[in-house]
Amino acid sequence: MIKNLRLWLPVTMLAALIASGCMLVSGQFIVPFKFIDVGADPVTVNSSTSLSGVAVDLNTVDVYADHKGDLKDVVDLALLGNLTNLDSGAGLTVEVWMVPTPGTMLTTDAAVRGATGAIKVWGPVTVAASGSKNIGWDESAALFTGRKQLIDEIKGDGRFDLYALGNNGYHFRITKGVLMAVISAGK
Amino acid sequence: MRRLIALTLVALCLSAGAAFARGVGIGAFAGMSVPVLQEDVDKGNMFGVRVPVNLVPLFTVEPYYASAALGEATESVGGIDYTREGFDEKAYGVNAMLTLGGPVTFYPYAGVGQTSLKRTGFDDSFTTFNFGLGLGISPAPKLSLHLRGELQTVVDGEASRKFGNVTVGASYALFSMP
Repeated sequence: MIKNLRLWLPVTMLAALIASGCMLVSGQFIVPFKFIDVGADPVTVNSSTSLSGVAVDLNTVDVYADHKGDLKDVVDLALLGNLTNLDSGAGLTVEVWMVPTPGTMLTTDAAVRGATGAIKVWGPVTVAASGSKNIGWDESAALFTGRKQLIDEIKGDGRFDLYALGNNGYHFRITKGVLMAVISAGK
Repeated sequence: MRRLIALTLVALCLSAGAAFARGVGIGAFAGMSVPVLQEDVDKGNMFGVRVPVNLVPLFTVEPYYASAALGEATESVGGIDYTREGFDEKAYGVNAMLTLGGPVTFYPYAGVGQTSLKRTGFDDSFTTFNFGLGLGISPAPKLSLHLRGELQTVVDGEASRKFGNVTVGASYALFSMP
């Protein structure tokens, strides 16, 4: 019986080859969606009834378009940029919501929170009065809360709207905004 | 729980194997792990330990533990560089090797195990397969030096992360039958 152990090697090798499947033609690719590409730089919000959202269409990013047909998973997400609190009297807390079905851009906090399928996907992040904060990749990746829903959209048609909502004030500006996704793709 | 079961299986393999063993050794290794087609992580150093157990002539099983500190990746977007930290990788499993005797030997091997990848905002474990080729040189009785190159495939659902690993190491035969 113990001599059958010699079968382990070819069997394990075969399993490795099968399991790795798309071994030689798959990889992890960075998809950066710049807000400036849809005219959303800066995003300035002055009240809860004059929001400015970002209409994300990942199909406009070459890397995503090239791999959309063989996209297997989304393995990392981040929202990057600079967040400035324009209020000199109070700190600011911001979170990002996603509306999965793109359409006419919404302009009020209540409309975003009440939209069909709307969900908080990221945050909160806090900025002191008159403060400014650069949001880095590592910090941002840890702030996702609606990861699955956002991943589903990226694995779907790649189109959705993002809105920054203030939990504690509505006077802020986002500059150099980027949605960074890392996709796994392979044939 | 999955990790506990896997560790138990490895321990059982090792103890059962040791009971039948013609030889048991212990070794350490270090080297470089290079991500293949992964834009969100860079190469890093790795090290680990191995316990080769020779069960029958030509055939050796080898439980292993490895750790790697993979490098950070930088992506430039709109003139700004964004940096993502690399993974802290821990891996364990069992290799199966076709081993010939002699002072210099080439040996193919394949293995299965578990790999955990951890960095800020990400912490998960995956089944791993690896296969490669080793070169063993025995400059003295009981002592052998090894150079290995392998492809490590970390299976994540329908996709996988792949690493090319190159290591050098040494092993010492605790006992061996003639």
